Amino acid sequence: MSSSRATAYGGRVMLVVLMFWTLLPFISLFTAALHPVGTFPTGLSWPAHPQWQNFINAWNVANLGPILKSSALIVLGTVPITVVIATMAGFALGQLRVFGGRAVMLLFLIGLTLPLEGIIIPLYYELNSFNLIDTRMAVILPLIGLFMPFSVYWMRAHFVNVPRSLTEAARSDGATTWQIFWGLQVPLARPAIISLVIITTIWTWNQFLLPLVLVPTNVDSRTMAGALGAFQGQYSDNIPLLAAGSLLILAPMVLVYIIFQRQFIRAMLQGAVKG
Amino acid sequence: MEPRFQSRAQREASIVDGHRPSLLRRGISRAAVPACVTGTVLLACGTGIAAAAKAKTNSSTPTYAQACGTKAVTLTGDFETGFPDIVNLTKLFSKQYPKVHWRINTNAYAEITTNAPLVLAGKNAPDLVRLPILEGLVKDHLLLSLNKYYNEYHWNKFPSSVWAQNRTNGSQLNTGNIYAWGLNNQVTGIYYNKALAKKIGMKGAPKTLAQLEALFAKAKKDGLTPIETWNAVPTGLTFPLQQLMADYGSVQAINNWAYDKPGATIDTPANVRAAKVLDSWIKAGYFNADATAQSYSGAMSEWTASGSKDVFLFNGNWQAGSFDTSQPGKYGFFAMPPVKAGGHVAAIIGPLQYGIAAKAPDPSCTAYFLNWVSTNPAARKLNVEQGGAPPIGPTALPVPSAKPGTNTEESIQVGVAVAKDNQGMGFITNANGSIYTESETPELQSLFAGQTTPAAVMSSIQSAYKSEGS
Amino acid sequence: MLNTATTSRRPLGAGSILRGLRTLARADRARGWLFLVPALVAYGMFVLWPLANSIKYSFYNWDGINPAKWVGLSNYGQVFTNATLYSAIEHSGILILFFSFLPTALGLALAAFMRSAIAGRLGTVARVVIFLPQVVALVAAGIAWSWLLGYDGAINQIFYAPVDALLKLVGLGVAQQAWLGSFKYALPGVGLIGIWVMLGFCTVLLTVGMGKIDPSLYEASQLDGAGPVREFFDITLPSLRQEIGVCLTVTMIAALSAFDIVYISTQGGPANQTMVPGLEIYLLAFTNRQVGLASALAIVLVVLVVICIVPIQWYVNRGNES
Repeated sequence: MSSSRATAYGGRVMLVVLMFWTLLPFISLFTAALHPVGTFPTGLSWPAHPQWQNFINAWNVANLGPILKSSALIVLGTVPITVVIATMAGFALGQLRVFGGRAVMLLFLIGLTLPLEGIIIPLYYELNSFNLIDTRMAVILPLIGLFMPFSVYWMRAHFVNVPRSLTEAARSDGATTWQIFWGLQVPLARPAIISLVIITTIWTWNQFLLPLVLVPTNVDSRTMAGALGAFQGQYSDNIPLLAAGSLLILAPMVLVYIIFQRQFIRAMLQGAVKG
Repeated sequence: MEPRFQSRAQREASIVDGHRPSLLRRGISRAAVPACVTGTVLLACGTGIAAAAKAKTNSSTPTYAQACGTKAVTLTGDFETGFPDIVNLTKLFSKQYPKVHWRINTNAYAEITTNAPLVLAGKNAPDLVRLPILEGLVKDHLLLSLNKYYNEYHWNKFPSSVWAQNRTNGSQLNTGNIYAWGLNNQVTGIYYNKALAKKIGMKGAPKTLAQLEALFAKAKKDGLTPIETWNAVPTGLTFPLQQLMADYGSVQAINNWAYDKPGATIDTPANVRAAKVLDSWIKAGYFNADATAQSYSGAMSEWTASGSKDVFLFNGNWQAGSFDTSQPGKYGFFAMPPVKAGGHVAAIIGPLQYGIAAKAPDPSCTAYFLNWVSTNPAARKLNVEQGGAPPIGPTALPVPSAKPGTNTEESIQVGVAVAKDNQGMGFITNANGSIYTESETPELQSLFAGQTTPAAVMSSIQSAYKSEGS
Repeated sequence: MLNTATTSRRPLGAGSILRGLRTLARADRARGWLFLVPALVAYGMFVLWPLANSIKYSFYNWDGINPAKWVGLSNYGQVFTNATLYSAIEHSGILILFFSFLPTALGLALAAFMRSAIAGRLGTVARVVIFLPQVVALVAAGIAWSWLLGYDGAINQIFYAPVDALLKLVGLGVAQQAWLGSFKYALPGVGLIGIWVMLGFCTVLLTVGMGKIDPSLYEASQLDGAGPVREFFDITLPSLRQEIGVCLTVTMIAALSAFDIVYISTQGGPANQTMVPGLEIYLLAFTNRQVGLASALAIVLVVLVVICIVPIQWYVNRGNES
């Protein structure tokens, strides 16, 4: 009995240690960000006079406004299309059971393991031939393609588990395939769709290599993460501002995460296990 | 056997931020440049007095001049992040020529290096670009020859030595057409923190290497960091190394190597001796212990931080403008002292290069802008005040004076002194495209970590140099 | 929309309904392709087509601008003979240890110990916190970790003194240094960042997996007199086959394709000690413009991922069949 209580106690201590370890980089960024401009903060140290205005200065120095807008535009361009076409494909594979569906799913599965570095070089030349380099489209279009394997798999997993009798009943009521999809199945798939929206939003926001390569000069058309490299130069010799800027870049997605943490964690775990 | 790849080159400085050495293209053999622009009369200065007297640059402006500024145009520029001078020059230009607008992208130097060939070859090539290594871009026909503008704008009235590094045939410098234009002149030396230097008893710039080393030792004894440097990819240790090489050997020998003269070698007794002295500094703990984890901008943060214990910094005048504005009066700048008192002082010298894309939508107006920067008094003044370096232009024009006691003024003086002694060097990191990141950086990182010997450093840099050249 | 469909239904006999449904289902199986097309087009254009091109480029010597030259397999020869390229592949092998094996093993241990704690209210908060690394941009994490691992960084601040003191007891001792600037510690330093990124994900996944194990299994083994250690190996581990497989798969892909963290924290230094294939591909293709060689390395990387993952999937699936 006492040993199990000790285990429970030990478990709680370990949990706290693990939480501290996870938060360590954020704490370090945060304390660094509050140091006076022109100092070189070391380790974890709370400044004597916290400089909250550093966050405002960091925003202005790196001109974060346009990049925040650009990130939002890239998310708006990527996520809705990804979700719509992945839901359609998932419906076709999971409910309609199209001919050759297994082979198609296998084709998508290959993409689940594919590292982005494996295709980044031809992507550059492809988008160059479309005359899209240095535009937001150069990030949006490849991202939609890159999200397909996970998104289609995710939506198919949902549709496979929806009883087909529902579709059949609607069908016997004379509904067209599109009506069944849009009027019946999509509303039922809402939880799965919401999870997919959250995940792809976060993945889009954090994308680094794509904007680095495909938006080479027009930094204002990148994602937040992609623009971070350029910020390093803006803040060049100012560690507190760089720390504040990094936190500002993280903030929107952390906020989204905190609001939707339940869906996000569940989706990540399920998506991983199913995938 | 090995396929002739384009070399892992231009990686030089690649992933990292910053502007360090790579700004200095292969040097010029006769480094009279700053002397010329400061108006000191020297042999090397340009093409003769008669031509200079006729100068009156603006009045002889040709056809392009009228074309630029009469019609509304938008010029595009790809510049380096963290250098406001060029951006402010474009703003000033737009003020004087309201119909000319600019669309400017700024990016880290590393990314410019990586992207330049693709951007210049792409469908939306910009007009004006901050240039990475010149030869490769020219070989691929990505840059516009500036010869036409050289003739039209009488750029022959600039110090002739300036053009040496701006000319290339695609593989060698100082021959072929002109493809680059210099915004201002760069020069290297040693910065010192005035307050800390006073603390360790420094009175005036050291006259000999021994005096400098004594100051390092004193600083170390007092618990300070004698030398701040960066040794992440790519390293900054090439600065003290090359200065020591010039101290123990000859500038001529270094330049032969940097300019790929047949038979040149870096593996000489004098250079090994220089490396040994550098090694002794490392072993004595003169450098910041975290150097190999510090990038250029990280090292600058440590150096400029309030309460910093860094006394000396081997760097160039491209930092002078920013030090003068953000930390006025805090630092001094002097040339690397020679081994013996009264000996020659040497430095690395070269123009900060910009070029016009071969596919530039409006090359004429862009070239007009370049000429304007070189000749317009307000532009030249801005160049000195914000760029921290003397502008490059017709020798007949007066050079705007820098405020006395600023790093800008001190670095201009160093440039004059070096030029007087004919001790300007090309940078050893630019001997070929890959030598800096492929060989010099890992070798010096290894030396810093005690993983190799000074002699081995020199011999392996030489063998990398030879395999690249063959 | 469904309502309009409902009102327009035609009266049909039961038999004809079934027959009608069967033909309809067959029609669906064909017409459904229309629903698949957009996803396939996007995937084909921006994943499969570039992948095919990567393979094509890998047989050429190309600088990305001038005409390319066919060189057969020589780029692949380079990948395995050039010391820097080959060492990059070796480094990613070491990173698998940090990104993959350590988080999975640690995650298992933590999950076993914290199973009861994570069920409570503290657990809800903890779950949100330790999952955070999955949400933040790796670049920003890389910046933060570069300081944490710096000479005066928090990691040295917290751990250096006690570790040094311990080592001094046995007559050793270690000089304080910046992790990412050290020949010895730079790659483990990058690995430590990998552990940070992956540990929370694995721990939560494995905890959830453990929660699904039938408690009666434990009761039975306790009746047999099994201790907690034997329980762990006899029941917990085999039941978590699938979760462990997922942890290993996801983390191995992350280890092999590491880019953001290395780009920001070390740029592959010092002296290429932390060079990884992802960064090397980027540098070769865009900085050095050896597009063919870079593509060959990219294809090697793709194959490497498959080679690493297939055995794990096989292990997981074998478990599912039995």
